[in-house]
Amino acid sequence: MGFPKKIKKYLPLQPEKVLSARREELLNYIREDGTYLPKSVLHADLDRGMLDFVSNELEIFANGKKVPVVDIIITTQNWSQFTETWNFQDLDNNVSPPFISVVRQPEVKYGSLPSLQYTIPNRKQFYYASVPTWDGQRNGMDIYKIPQPVPVDITFSVKIICNRMRELNTFNKTVLQTFSSRQAYTFVKGHYVPIILDNISDESVMDLEKRKYYIQSYNFTMMGFLIDEEEFEVSPAISRVLTVMEFDTELKKGGKKKYPENPDEFEIPLTYAVGTTSFTQNYYFTADLSYISQENIDTYDIYINGDYYGSDLESIQLTSGDELVISITKDNASLESSLVWQAKLL
Amino acid sequence: MEKKVPITRIGKFFGQEDFDLDIDMGQEWLNGDMNFTLVLYKVDKLRTKNDDVYGEVGPDEIQFLPPIEFKAYVKIVEPNNAYMGSTKIVQTEPGNMTFSVYNRELDSLGIDIDLGDYVAYYETETKVRYYSVVNDGKITSDLKHSYGGYKAFYKTYVCTPVSYNEFRGL
Repeated sequence: MGFPKKIKKYLPLQPEKVLSARREELLNYIREDGTYLPKSVLHADLDRGMLDFVSNELEIFANGKKVPVVDIIITTQNWSQFTETWNFQDLDNNVSPPFISVVRQPEVKYGSLPSLQYTIPNRKQFYYASVPTWDGQRNGMDIYKIPQPVPVDITFSVKIICNRMRELNTFNKTVLQTFSSRQAYTFVKGHYVPIILDNISDESVMDLEKRKYYIQSYNFTMMGFLIDEEEFEVSPAISRVLTVMEFDTELKKGGKKKYPENPDEFEIPLTYAVGTTSFTQNYYFTADLSYISQENIDTYDIYINGDYYGSDLESIQLTSGDELVISITKDNASLESSLVWQAKLL
Repeated sequence: MEKKVPITRIGKFFGQEDFDLDIDMGQEWLNGDMNFTLVLYKVDKLRTKNDDVYGEVGPDEIQFLPPIEFKAYVKIVEPNNAYMGSTKIVQTEPGNMTFSVYNRELDSLGIDIDLGDYVAYYETETKVRYYSVVNDGKITSDLKHSYGGYKAFYKTYVCTPVSYNEFRGL
């Protein structure tokens, strides 16, 4: 049984920060060693992040020595290959295997990071921080605003060049373990940038009459984003507030509050249009109705709840829920008639 | 005892004595005038402890028999400038070495050059390049390797350069 490589020699005395405390910690990483604003994250920073990731996270050893990583992105200017003091050259000043090289595809595409895709149009500026200022006389604040970062996808090919299958196996194991959860992260100026393993291919030179070596290519996509300091906006906030209040100086006497009338007695006028000789109404109060007047009526008959109550009566007693029907006989059937009662609530 | 059959091809004009004479003259030219010296590092397959699965060894782990100098007619192909795979790293890849050795030279030194053996060629007093044999020229049945069809008299080997990571001699 192999002895575990990762041995914790001591337990952490301080618990790791979580939730909002962790977010504060991440924010401090972003602002570390700088102004209140985050620092620019541009293509070169992302490239450096990838180189650091390969050097640190995909580090392998062969024959007791660390397999060196070509610590620059190779460009079209050939002399740049030799700006680094490479200590793994052979007698022809060629790079001697085994070594690891990082190649970036020149084209950088619009990013596929879901949280940043086409969500905020027109480079709208967002509040980032309020920074206190002092101009020698009074305190003030500066408002810092930044736009949404621009997502970018950068494709890298990490290539291992070596002479032995064992070195290939070691590197392959390291990569697959690192990316067993599909993605890994590099740390660029306080930001965690995800990297996804896309593909593994082989470009080994196996010609019989050529110098033989293995080349295996691991393609990665870095789902990065661009933050450009040139787009930040710093503007002074309000430093003094003048509050003006206006008052009406006229004295007004407070009036008595008025409430709508709520009389106990009221009139109930009944109008009979031409052609109408009967009136029906349900009452939901208890009252005594007293006859007041009539017009164009010869006689009238009163029914309560369908029962005949009397004719030409001068008082009626109504109970809540009663149905009152008053049928009339007009003097002149071609004219309108009216009958007025006085109701007194009981 | 090994059975021998006399070679009587082109016997009316040529024979073993002529053959030996011409080889003598050729060696005089090659060894005396040209004097291209190579060093053979013959891999000691018994002492070299290789990987059980891949048969690989690490740097400086190849064990070899005592190096032997020999004379040969050497041709080295011009170097090729190319990218190393798709790494964008430009390098000048040294060319292959082809050398031919008289059979008599091999017999007199008692050496047999096999596939995978290493051969050193001193380009300058201090700069030596090592090659790995990728074609050991064992088959010499063709007319080119025979003296007018009489008998084979030399072998041609093809070697590719190796990096120091694989082999770097003493």
